[in-house]
Amino acid sequence: MAVRRPTRPRFVLLLLVLTAGTIITLGYRTQANGYVGKLKGYASDVFSPVQSGVLDVFRPVGSFFRGAFDYGSLRKQNATLKAELGSARRAGTAAASQQQELQALTQLEKLPFAPSLHQIAAEVVDTGFGNYQLTLELDRGSSAGVQVGMPVVSGGGLVGRVVQSNRSTSTVLLLTDPSSSIGVRDGSVIGVASGQGLGQALRVDYIFAPAKVTKGDVMVTSGLQGGLLPPGIPVGRINRVRDHTGDLQEEVNIAPLVDMNSLEFVDVLVWEPPSTLPGAG
Amino acid sequence: MTAAVGERRFNAVARSQVLLVLFMAVVLQLTVGAELRLFGVHPDLMLLVAVSGGLVGGEERGAMVGFTAGLLADLFLQAPFGLSALSFTIIGYAAGLFSGTIVRASWPMVFFGASLASAAGEILYALLGAGLGQSQMVSDRLGPIVGVVAVLNGVGALLVVPVMRWAIFPDTASGRRRW
Repeated sequence: MAVRRPTRPRFVLLLLVLTAGTIITLGYRTQANGYVGKLKGYASDVFSPVQSGVLDVFRPVGSFFRGAFDYGSLRKQNATLKAELGSARRAGTAAASQQQELQALTQLEKLPFAPSLHQIAAEVVDTGFGNYQLTLELDRGSSAGVQVGMPVVSGGGLVGRVVQSNRSTSTVLLLTDPSSSIGVRDGSVIGVASGQGLGQALRVDYIFAPAKVTKGDVMVTSGLQGGLLPPGIPVGRINRVRDHTGDLQEEVNIAPLVDMNSLEFVDVLVWEPPSTLPGAG
Repeated sequence: MTAAVGERRFNAVARSQVLLVLFMAVVLQLTVGAELRLFGVHPDLMLLVAVSGGLVGGEERGAMVGFTAGLLADLFLQAPFGLSALSFTIIGYAAGLFSGTIVRASWPMVFFGASLASAAGEILYALLGAGLGQSQMVSDRLGPIVGVVAVLNGVGALLVVPVMRWAIFPDTASGRRRW
């Protein structure tokens, strides 16, 4: 039997920690399109057929216990109808806000408008298993035209942005994720809406008192922020405006128009941030 | 017998069996783990495998299993790539420091050992993430995450620890005490 070498485990630990540190550094330097993105793409290609196979077997079992035999298909139909109703509602809301902003917008040149964008319909496969990021996995990827940065909408408004695009799947970061911030506007008032976690309202920062926003107004994407998102997509309804006397900023919260918990179908808007914008990236 | 645990070679059969367990864990995490939510928190099966690897195989194997499990988890997460690999390596190693105690322990020991190590793993993961600029990872959500993952992994360890024992010590698993 070999003599126990107590330094070996520590050496292995050091080696692995240094390797992990190197991987983190490389990942930071190459960002989404580098080797990390490719690796994730391969992993998704390998695991997503297995994943959908397993889900296909187990989901009907779950549905069975929840109710009738054809519950699954009814649910699907219901979701499709909801999505259709939602996009009609979205068009309505967008139209209202268009009128409101028409004058302001027409002064700006060549701003693409959300309802005119081509859409890719996708089904939500799952909500991801991470406890620190709020994401959705979609069943459409780069082969269907989904690219990193594209906005995702459903029902009444914005859901989030594509952060990872694989061959046949993609990952969406929800706007309620604490790392998400989106440029929003209500009329001429602009601000930045940050996610506060699942089921929480978004907090809108940089609205300076006295602000001309009222409870119940729908805030839409501003299209500023270096053109990260197209303007005019409804984001949320103002559910709280608090003005602390003496404060520079108003405390404004908006409730997302989309219920992030029950998403089954979404639309990916084919949109590329204009890279020629000054200050973009 | 226990003294020899740390010295036995991590041979090819053991490695491939551990890889098989890791593969199964990824599939389970992607399916059941993604569907299942307790107080809004998903179970963290990859961390459980890392912890069990350490509890069963000692520091060195714990670090190796943790690194691989973390790297696999990173492939499906939007956090900085390599963050799970780093934290699971350290937790696998740390869990390994208690392997001598756990090998002959009763099931409550396995439960609490895995619970404690998993809680530490979640806290370490969030702190390292915050250190890497993801400050939102340390929030008031961390409490529920640590609590739920600790309890689920404690229970899960009662199943995963015997599986890891089979994987890491293919020849002696049947002759060993259950807990």
